[in-house]
Order: sequence, then structure tokens, then C-alpha cells
Amino acid sequence: MMNTKEPIIEFRDVTFYYPISETPALQNINLKIYEGEYVAILGLNGAGKTTLQLCLNGVIPNMIMGELTGDVFIKGLNTRDYPTRELAKIVGMVFDNPEFQLTQTSVAEEVALGLENLGTSPHDMEEIIGEVLQTVGLSGLKDRSPFELSGGQQQRLAIASALAMHPEIFVMDEPTSNVDPVGKEEIIAVAAKLNQEKHMTVILAEHEVEVVAQYADHVIVIDKGKIILDGTPQQVFNQIDVLAKCGLRTPQVTEFFNQINQSKKLGIKELPIKIDEAESLMLNQFEKK
Amino acid sequence: MRGAVLPISMVPGNSVVHKIAPLPKLLWAVGVLIISFSTRNPAILGAMIVLGLFLASISNIWSSFLKVMGILFPIMVIAIFLQSIAPAFPQPWTPIAQLGPFTIYQEGIYSGLTLFERTFSMTIFAMVFIMTTHPSDLFVSLEKIGMPYVINFILTVTLQLIPILQREFATVLSAQKSRGMKGTGFGAVLPSMVPVFVGAIERVQQMSISLESRAFGSTGKKTSYRNVVMGVKDYVIMVVGLLASAVTLYWILVDKSLDWSRTMHFSPTLSVILVITAALIFVTFIVISVSKIIKT
Amino acid sequence: MEEVLITCDNLSHVYSGGVVAVKEVNLKIRRGELIGIIGQNGSGKTTLVKHFNGLLKPTYGKVIIKGEETTNKRVQELSRSVGYVFQNPNHQLFAKTVTAELEFGPRNLGLSEEEVHERVEKAIEFFNLDTYRDQHPYRISFPLRKLVGMASIYTMRPDVFILDEPTTGQDNITTRIVYQLIRRLRDEGSTVICVAHDMILLAEVVERMIVMRDSVLIADTDPKTVFSDRKLMSSTHLYPPQITELSHRLKDKNFINTYALSIDEMQKVTDQQLQVKRSK
Ligand SMILES: Nc1ncnc2c1ncn2[C@@H]1O[C@H](COP(=O)(O)OP(=O)(O)OP(=O)(O)O)[C@@H](O)[C@H]1O
Ligand SMILES: Nc1ncnc2c1ncn2[C@@H]1O[C@H](COP(=O)(O)OP(=O)(O)OP(=O)(O)O)[C@@H](O)[C@H]1O
Ligand SMILES: [Mg+2]
Ligand SMILES: [Mg+2]
Repeated sequence: MMNTKEPIIEFRDVTFYYPISETPALQNINLKIYEGEYVAILGLNGAGKTTLQLCLNGVIPNMIMGELTGDVFIKGLNTRDYPTRELAKIVGMVFDNPEFQLTQTSVAEEVALGLENLGTSPHDMEEIIGEVLQTVGLSGLKDRSPFELSGGQQQRLAIASALAMHPEIFVMDEPTSNVDPVGKEEIIAVAAKLNQEKHMTVILAEHEVEVVAQYADHVIVIDKGKIILDGTPQQVFNQIDVLAKCGLRTPQVTEFFNQINQSKKLGIKELPIKIDEAESLMLNQFEKK
Repeated sequence: MRGAVLPISMVPGNSVVHKIAPLPKLLWAVGVLIISFSTRNPAILGAMIVLGLFLASISNIWSSFLKVMGILFPIMVIAIFLQSIAPAFPQPWTPIAQLGPFTIYQEGIYSGLTLFERTFSMTIFAMVFIMTTHPSDLFVSLEKIGMPYVINFILTVTLQLIPILQREFATVLSAQKSRGMKGTGFGAVLPSMVPVFVGAIERVQQMSISLESRAFGSTGKKTSYRNVVMGVKDYVIMVVGLLASAVTLYWILVDKSLDWSRTMHFSPTLSVILVITAALIFVTFIVISVSKIIKT
Repeated sequence: MEEVLITCDNLSHVYSGGVVAVKEVNLKIRRGELIGIIGQNGSGKTTLVKHFNGLLKPTYGKVIIKGEETTNKRVQELSRSVGYVFQNPNHQLFAKTVTAELEFGPRNLGLSEEEVHERVEKAIEFFNLDTYRDQHPYRISFPLRKLVGMASIYTMRPDVFILDEPTTGQDNITTRIVYQLIRRLRDEGSTVICVAHDMILLAEVVERMIVMRDSVLIADTDPKTVFSDRKLMSSTHLYPPQITELSHRLKDKNFINTYALSIDEMQKVTDQQLQVKRSK
């Protein structure tokens, strides 16, 4: 992360307390994220992932009460000074609970909502709606009420609605927890594609470390409101002990290699984190013998 | 379970009324509201009711409309009974019949009937408006004429509150049943109203976060997916509505002879039948709804 | 063979808008089974299991719970035999505090106050909810709400537990708690039905798998069979766990000769393989 540019997201000494809460949900967060990064946030339940993400479009401190100290800057704008509805033009959000995000009477209108607010022309709107619904696999359900969708379909719709606005920063809070594995892979991959081609910055909170290892290029680990690891996936997932201490797991292949590395004294310095790496390493290691 | 809840929301359709832009329809509904409050002339109110029922019938919303009216009508009807025996009207009252312990007054019947007509005409127009207008069309239209964000937002939330409450009610009830909810009837259902409201408040907050997170209410040009254009027809309807309301209102204010409270006489038999019917409708309604809730 | 608790006889469900969500499903579920229901989004899993506690009634066909058809039974009565943990915890919780939430079920069963108290305490301990006992269920995080939802059914001890995507949003620690819960329930003699996309859960915990695709039940077999059938997997939008995928790839290259469903299995498989190679 040697970058001379201005960060697109910056946290300066951010601490946040929810109302009446004695312990901070975020504590002394200092963080810089640059345009075009694909950032994954890891942490146990209650670690503060959601809270951190809510700071990104100003829901904290503008819409949720609590005590925020320090500052969050999005493209140089202090989130204290801009309401969420303005920051929303830069930051797209997918919240953890799919149902709370649904506000309209049909699937197409749900996607259209953000576009209307951006002033997209009706002609373009039709095209974008078709496109994103295709992306998330809901093409046939345009006229269905969002409340008559299955859990996974609702989550796909929430993603589509945020994606349609072509945000510069795309924030997703466990966006695919109800989505089937193939759909999950597809959606995360689409975000990766937009990240590569359009330099969309992605901030993803996710428990499934295999997915994180495959797609992210910057991993942040939060524990009890503090950032404890911040680096590339390679660096972070190789800190198996630190991760284990705060209850997190590593990708299955990493775990597996860690175990055989120790039991068989293979002397591998960099454990593989992706399946392709694991496969070739496996073939190499054992073919040699 | 669903039947117990009011289905007050848009009924999708393609009727003439559906196709009218939201603002002219809103104007008509407001006009009727104002006139209803300004007069107690049974004929004017009656005329508006007839017009309203006509509009309801050409908008293909009968089944939902009747469902709502099935609940509101008996409640409105009770006004006739209550007013007849205790008119909200300046004394002196003229007794015309005796019904057991109750004395029925001439002014009471008049007052009850007109009060009923009032609420009825307003409700019909409000229902026709809500059931034929897509909520987002309304917001877009209001935004266009410069309605401030806050008011528009409150309107959005209010109109969505009913479906939200409906869903929440169904949800809480299924949740409680799935854990062996004890007892039946009001006693069991009533406590679950608390979580319904708590839940609804929570939903509303979440909804505002969700809407703002998609730039709802932000500055800058807005477009509409459901293209709302005001055609010539809509302007005509609007102007006609405006003129009709203004003229009627002027007439009501100027022409004192429209007050028929002392000139319109009801025969004792008719009055008794009317009052008893009103009471019966109300009681039947209560019995039916209680048994419906007990069944859930 | 154990007693049959749930029978679906040609069950179909059509939602009011005309969506056929479950089509002609035939199924028998016995006491003590540990079942996973899998299938892509919208394939009808939730709709199917909501018939098991009477929340939904068949449009066509029959569902029989412990010998009685559900059509004429109320959810309240069925809830003694079948507990359903909703996919979305917000659909499940309504009480003012976590403790009150956990008490609701057992109290409706008519248990004594001590018994209720004991069950609640057990659940709080098991699910690690002590810090949250007096909090409002709406004030705790989404994944925690899910745990509270499970705990609220656990205190009722029904014969059949239905968990609709129990590990959604759970971290490594709470996921393990859920796996433990499932095994414990089974050990206590309950039937457990998990609707899940969580492949590790399916590979390591579940014993029988029911596969749905486009509203139709297309397979009913054991996990090993499902995970070794890559065509079936991808047609239902499933991927095997990463370690299983690795074993697949290595097997394709004739490096090892069998699949592994867990890391431990994979170790054994590679160990054997290396020994074979060495002995050659
Ligand atoms: N609305 C709220 N009011 C009070 N405290 C809250 C609220 N939301 C979260 N918290 C607390 O703040 C802390 C951080 O929670 P947060 O939801 O950010 O965690 P998370 O990492 O997103 O966890 P999860 O994996 O469960 O989603 C937790 O201790 C949580 O209990
Ligand atoms: N209330 C409803 N009204 C109409 N259709 C519905 C309703 N709920 C679900 N559906 C539809 O029925 C089908 C089956 O939905 P169901 O919820 O059973 O799927 P699922 O297998 O549980 O999916 P997921 O993995 O996403 O939870 C889907 O096509 C869905 O869109
Ligand atoms: Mg979270
Ligand atoms: Mg489901």
C-alpha cells in the first residue's frame, strides 16, 4: 500500500460509543483505504464490522445516535458535515438484514429508487435495471413484490439496488449470507470485476474466509472494536496464531497446510490461501519426494 | 390471519381512474374533504357519495374497497345511533320517538345522518385515491411541485406504515403461534400488539436509513421510473375539480337555506327503524370480528 | 426403524400470486434423523419446512405430523412437536428482553416456574447469552438475534427442530456452537432438519440430504453421495467445501484416490497416500 495519492477513505482516531453503552464499539481506528482497493473486514460477531461500515456513508453519526470522536473522510469530505443522502451518491451500501432494505412495491422499482434519486434518465434506468437484475440472477422477477421473495432472493435484490447506482465505493455487510454458494461466488466476483475494470473500491464484511482469500487485496481484522491486523490476505492469513487467538479461522487449505506443515515438517514459509495455490503446492511438495 | 387486517394500499389496475395523474386525484380528495367539513346538507353530501361510489366502481377496486368498507362502514354507522339519542347539536332538541330507555331526537337523526354521510364521502374519496395511486408516483408529483423533503418523507413513511404494520402483525402472530401462544381471542392477540408497534417503529427507522442510503431526498435533479406526466386530460380534471370545489364551497357559505336541520322531518317509524338498523349493523360487525380474531 | 414423525404425501404449495413454490413432494422423516435440506435460492426449502409446523398448509396433497394431518391443526398445537427457527430472526423475536423471549415457549407448554427457569438458564449458558439477558432483542446484532431465536425454541424441547439457515451470519465460534447444538439435539433424541447453504455444516454434521431444485425434490441421499456428484452439486448451485474441492482436484490428477469432506479426513487421505507411495 505504498501510495502517494490521497486515500478515498480515511479514519482518524475514530472512537464510537452506542447510546448507554459503556464499552466503545470502535476504538482508536486509524485507517486509510485507496481508490480501487478490494478490502475485506474480518472479525467475530460484535467485533465492530457493521459499526465501522456504518461510518462510511455517515449513517453514524448522522442517523444513529451515539458518541463519535475523531473524523471520517470520504473523498476528503468529513462525514459529519454531509448527510447520508448526499454521501449516498458516492457510497453504495448493502446492509446485513436484507428485509430492512426493501421499501418499494416491486423488484424493478426497488432497483429504480436509487437511480431516480440520482436523476438517471428513464431510458438508461430500464437498461441498468435489466442489467443488474441479470447480474444477481433475478431477471424473471421484475414485477414481484420484494416481500414475496425468498430470503436469498431478497438479499440479491438488496445488492442489485445498491449496485445499480454505480457507486465509487461499494460497501457490503455480509451481503451473501443467505445466498447459495454459486450465487455468492458470482456476486463477489462481479464486485471484483467492477473493482478491476472500473476501479470501484469495495469494502466487504464477510465471515467466509475462503471467499476473502480468493478476491480481496487488503484485509482488516477487527477485534473488540480495534484493528488488530491490516495487510494483504497473504500476510493476514499467515498469522494463524493471532487469528486463532481472537477466534477466527483461516481458509481450509491454509489450515490444512498448517497442520501438515507441522506434522510433516515440510518447512513451508508461506502457507497457501487459495485453492489453486494449494493444489500446485500439494503436487509439487509430494511429487518431489 | 390476513383477512383480519385492512388492505389499505394500492390495488394495481389499468382503469381510467388509475390513469389519472396523482395530483388531480389528490386535489379532488382534498376538495371533497373540505366540502364535507363545511356543510351538513344531506343532498350535497349524498351527491358526493354517489359520485365517489361511481368512481370506485369504474376503477375496478371493488373487492379491496368493499373489504375496507366492510370494516369502516359499521363503525361510521354507529354515529347515527349515538347522535340520535345524544345529538352534538345546539339545543333545543325535538323528541320524535321513544326507544326503550332512549329518546330519539329530530336533530339527532339529522346530525347522525349527516355525520355519517360526511365520513362516508371523505372515506370513499380517500380510498379511491389511495387504491388507484402508486405511492411513488405521488411522491414524485409532490416533489415536482416543490414539496419539502421532510413533508414528503413523512408522507412516504405514513403511507407505508399500514403495509408495514400489516406485515409486522402477521409476523409477530406467526412467531408467537410457533411457540405455542396460549389462549385465543382478544386476550391473546392484544399483548402482541405491543411488539407490533415496537417492531414497526424499528422498521421505520431502518427504512429511513435504507432510503437515505440510496440518496432519497438528496439535492439535484430527480427522475421517475414510473413516468408521471400530467397530460391535458389531467389539467382539465384538475381545473374542473378546483372550480367545482370553489363554487360548491361558495354556495355553501352564502346560501343559508342549505341548512335543513329544522326543515327536514323524519317520521317516528322511519327514525326507529334507522336507529335500530344502525345499532344492529354495528353489533353484528363486532360479533363477526371478534369471532374472526378468535379463530386465528 | 424409528417412528415416522413427518410424512409429506404429494405435497404442493402455490402462493397467492400463483407461484408454485413446492411441487409434488413425497417424504418421510423419522425420529432421531439429522437432515440437511439444500437447493439454490428460491427452490422452495423454506416453503417446504414451514409446512412441518403448520405455518403453511398444503395447496394440494397432505402433510402428516405424528399421525395427524396438519390441515385441521393449529400452529399452536403443532408447536409442541415441531419447533421452527425462522430464516430471518426478526420474524421470530417479539419479547422485551432476551430472557422473556426464552421463557415464552416453555411457559406456554404449561411447565412449572422452576422448570421454565431451569430451561432458560441452560439455554443462556449453552448459547453464551449471559451478557445479553436483559437486553431488548432488537438492540442486539443480527447474528446474535439468530442465536436467541434458536435458544427460544431450544427451551421448548420439541421432537423435531427445524433450523432455517442456522449459521447465517455466524462467526467461527458461534458456528461451532450451532454445530454442537445440532449434535446435542440429536443425542437427546430429537430430529433435526437444517435448511442450509453452509457447506461445512452439511459435510461435517448432517447425515441425510434432501436436495431441492425448482420446487421439486430431486435427491434424497447421504452427504457423501451428494458431494461426490459434482454435476448434481452445480445444478443446485452448491460448491463443496474448499477442502473437498481440493480433494476432487487431486483425485482428478490421480494424486489421491478418494474424497475428503473435512480437514481431518483430508489429512488421513494424504497420509495413506504417502504411505502407499513410500512403500512402492
Ligand atoms: N444499535 C446498537 N445499540 C447498542 N449497541 C450496539 C448496537 N449495534 C451494535 N452494538 C454493539 O456494538 C458492538 C459492535 O457491533 P457490530 O454490529 O458493529 O459488530 P459486527 O462485527 O458487525 O458483528 P456481526 O458479525 O455480529 O455482525 C457490539 O458489542 C454490539 O453489541
Ligand atoms: N410470500 C410469498 N409469496 C409469493 N411467493 C413467494 C413467497 N415467499 C416465497 N415465494 C417464492 O416461492 C419460491 C420458493 O421460496 P422459498 O422461500 O421456499 O425458497 P428457499 O428455497 O427457502 O430460498 P432461499 O434459499 O433463498 O431462502 C421462490 O420462487 C419465492 O420467490
Ligand atoms: Mg455486523
Ligand atoms: Mg429460505
